[in-house]
Amino acid sequence: MSLRQRLLVVFSLTVVLAVAAVAWIVSLRTREAFTEVNQKRTAALVDQFRREFDAHADNLATRIDNLAGSERLSRIAFDLAQPGGDASLYLGEAASLARDYQLDYLEIVSTDGSIISSAQAPARFGYEEDLHAGGSQPTFLKKEGLPDGRSEIGLFALRAVKSAQPALYILGGKRLDRGFLANLAAPADAQVLLYPVLTSNFDPSSLVSSSSEVSQPDRFKPLIEGAQSSAQESRSTIFLSDSREDSVDATAIPLKAPDGAVLAVLTVANSRRSLVELQHHIRAISYGVAGIGILLAIAASLWITSRISRPVERLAAAAKDVAAGNWDAHVEAASSDELGELAHSFNYMTQQLAEQRERLVQSERVAAWRELARRLAHELKNPLFPLQLTVENLIKARKLAPDEFDEIFRESTETLTAEIANLKNIIGRFSDFSKMPKPHLEEIDVAEILRKVAALHEPVIAQHQPAVAFRCDVPDGPLPATADPELLHRAISNLVLNALDAMPQGGTLKLSAQARNDAVELRVSDTGTGMTPEECERLFTPYYTTKQHGTGLGLAIVQSIVSDHGGTIRVESTPGSGSTFIVELPRHQQSRAATTGLGAAGT
Amino acid sequence: MSRWLAVVSVTLALLAPARARTRPRYGGTLRVETRSDPLKPPDGIARKLLFDTLIQVSENGDLTPALATSWEAESANHRWTFHLRPGVHFHDGSLLTSDAVVQSLAMACQNCDWRARAAADTVIITSEMPLPNLPAELARSAYAITRRDGGGNPDGTGPFRFTANSNGILFLAANDDSWQGRPFVDAVEIYENRPIRDQWLDFTVGKADLVEVPPELLRQAQQQHMPLLVSSRPVDLLALTLSDKQIPNEHLRESIALAVDRAALFNVIFQKQGEVTGSLLPNALSGYAFLFPTAANPSRSRELRGAQSLPLRLSVDSSNSVLQLVAERLALNLRDAGWNVRVVSQATNPNAELGLRLVHLEAASAASALRETMQDFGPAAGDDSADPAALYRSESMFLKSHTVVPLLYVPRAYGVSARVHNLLLAPDGTPILANATLEDAR
Repeated sequence: MSLRQRLLVVFSLTVVLAVAAVAWIVSLRTREAFTEVNQKRTAALVDQFRREFDAHADNLATRIDNLAGSERLSRIAFDLAQPGGDASLYLGEAASLARDYQLDYLEIVSTDGSIISSAQAPARFGYEEDLHAGGSQPTFLKKEGLPDGRSEIGLFALRAVKSAQPALYILGGKRLDRGFLANLAAPADAQVLLYPVLTSNFDPSSLVSSSSEVSQPDRFKPLIEGAQSSAQESRSTIFLSDSREDSVDATAIPLKAPDGAVLAVLTVANSRRSLVELQHHIRAISYGVAGIGILLAIAASLWITSRISRPVERLAAAAKDVAAGNWDAHVEAASSDELGELAHSFNYMTQQLAEQRERLVQSERVAAWRELARRLAHELKNPLFPLQLTVENLIKARKLAPDEFDEIFRESTETLTAEIANLKNIIGRFSDFSKMPKPHLEEIDVAEILRKVAALHEPVIAQHQPAVAFRCDVPDGPLPATADPELLHRAISNLVLNALDAMPQGGTLKLSAQARNDAVELRVSDTGTGMTPEECERLFTPYYTTKQHGTGLGLAIVQSIVSDHGGTIRVESTPGSGSTFIVELPRHQQSRAATTGLGAAGT
Repeated sequence: MSRWLAVVSVTLALLAPARARTRPRYGGTLRVETRSDPLKPPDGIARKLLFDTLIQVSENGDLTPALATSWEAESANHRWTFHLRPGVHFHDGSLLTSDAVVQSLAMACQNCDWRARAAADTVIITSEMPLPNLPAELARSAYAITRRDGGGNPDGTGPFRFTANSNGILFLAANDDSWQGRPFVDAVEIYENRPIRDQWLDFTVGKADLVEVPPELLRQAQQQHMPLLVSSRPVDLLALTLSDKQIPNEHLRESIALAVDRAALFNVIFQKQGEVTGSLLPNALSGYAFLFPTAANPSRSRELRGAQSLPLRLSVDSSNSVLQLVAERLALNLRDAGWNVRVVSQATNPNAELGLRLVHLEAASAASALRETMQDFGPAAGDDSADPAALYRSESMFLKSHTVVPLLYVPRAYGVSARVHNLLLAPDGTPILANATLEDAR
């Protein structure tokens, strides 16, 4: 991972974590604040419904009061107070009065508690009614049995009919049902539920709502049962589905009879939809802002990391250039900070390195010329000295007898001719090195070349004193490769002669070849004196030789030939144990071309 | 019973002077309102206007000739011959024939144990069982001679003919060729399915001449000084039926019968109209009805019930509010005795364990009435003897199984406007509109 990527990741993570933390804190605080507001709103709704309930109870009490004071009931009371008064005449009276006064329940009861007329259960005439069920309360809750065997919960009021002699009581009431709830003013997003306690176990179908069917009535079971069992108000948040919007803050209020028994549970459910939607809205905005912030932060991080890493990358690229040999690499110092100072230092360093290299090149060039001059002088001095001695002998020989002179003249001319030939040979080798021909590539069998080299040198090696053992380890099959057979023959011959020269005390010379992937590996090894690592480093330098009589061009020529074929040459040597020259030639020049870009090298 | 007799007397006494001042006049339209379908058998109010029976029952309960002028029994009441009245025409002008009579009787009595066949001007009815009460049975409106005309409308030989039935009103016109003579009024308009409240409102404002007064409202009508016509004897039997298949234990059925408080029904719901009965027949008809106990005995009922807590359904015609109230009261009685009873609709629970039924008594003689009533409650082998002791034994045997618990007999009553004269009720409580006249007729 690059510096820029690391910086980008660090910056981005920092920003994302910071934004996420802020978003989480905002979301948490928002939820807490809204929950608090919603609870207050629910409490206000509960208070409102209590007032509404009380108002309906007062309204019922007023209606029953008016009914008790009505002329119609006073007349009935008067009739019944007369001797022989017949209560059966008023069997249907309660139903009629209940319709007129919009009551769900109405019973006309005599002073002894027997029912004269009942609107809700007309057949109950003559049965006893508990006139003390309401205690002293103006209105009270009561469970009322119906003719079909069902029971209902109602809000009742008991009054004595106002007449000269109270002869009647009326017990009227309103049913606590959906209609009753519908009359309670409720905001649009609030729902009022009523659960009449008619069975010992929770019956979801008994739960009615003011507005519509109750969805998921079972979800209210714990709340309602809690209020029912504790006879205390209880609150809970109820989730009606998996969606958070579909939830309510519910308060269950137990409705009790005068004896304390819980007859019904009124539940005020305040929808949390608007709250949750607002939370979602705020959260969406927060996430949007956070997302935009993160994107901006990433963009800023990109810019900052780019600003920070670009000089470093320039420095790294310049360092690579320097490593690749481009000593003119220069880094632009765009800032005056530490990176700018670093760029200045780098530029100064490369400048110093280039100057030192120039100086080194110049000194090496001088050293090379000196070496060349020394070599030339050394090479030329050897033949010149015999030439000088021979010419001086000839001069001295003119004073001798003609026969002796002729003899000396003949020997001298032979010597002169031989030395001149030697000089021409020396000059030719220098000339060959300077005019190394380009290889003419063709498909050849490297094994065959090796066998030819072995055949050429084997007789000479056999006559070498002390004896040198020669081993040629070449596969029987062909080792095809694309190469110039003459140059390759020459290079291998040079290595064989070199190895032979390295074993003045005798030893073993081994020539081998083998295929290795897309290359052919040639090995020429000897068991001679070996070389030090320093000698190995300089071995392929032109005019460098470890021998007393060498031009120092042989291995340079070999390296040149191998290099022209796209191959490599290296030496493995241990002082005292001999050396091994390893040549790797590519089998096909296409691969060489692909790797070196020298596609036309063979042409 | 003395109370309603007094009411009838007073009412008739009030009506008599008004009627005495006028003599019968022809013409006018009589407006009648009813809660039910006037053509519905067996006692629809229009049936006796449109159709005739072979034999009819006189005001004093005797069988008198109608479409049959005479009849005689042969072979120990196994064969009856009825001689048709000559010259009687249906409303469409076609002659009444023995074939038409046989066809009508066959339609009315598809499951009877007798068969009718036509022979010239007579109708011969034969049976493998002796039929001593066949003339009385044929006097019932269920066996009125009816048919449909070409338009599918009801066609008969009665004093009025069908003209139209639209918008809930049945229009009848006087049959000028009636064998009983033309009725006094030109037409009768019968308003169908009118609630009592609406009937009384129309009556009050003069839009109706004859309205129904249910027994539970009879006392209220009297208090409102409504001119009334009340049947001379209670004609509708209110009874609780018990399924012996679903309650096979006779003691349990007796427990249910003993739990019933008839007095509360009589005194409060029916406002002391009619009579409490433990018999299938009213006391005025049989003379022995008082011998059947009517008092409730809750403790004995509980004792007979034992630990049985079989859930019971009491079915009732839920469209009749009074019957519904009676059923709910009976359910309370039974619950007090420890029974678990639920009142259900007869329409949706035809096979309930208990049922509340209102049976109309049409026959005028005790034997016929008992046979008719017992047949109404199911197949029962009645004694055809007219001897009261035999009838009592027969009824006792029938009621001993406690599959039927007679509760009350209630009368039929009608409010009659002052413009109507000479209107009387038949022994079965239906008004005889053919003899009525209108004061403002031409």
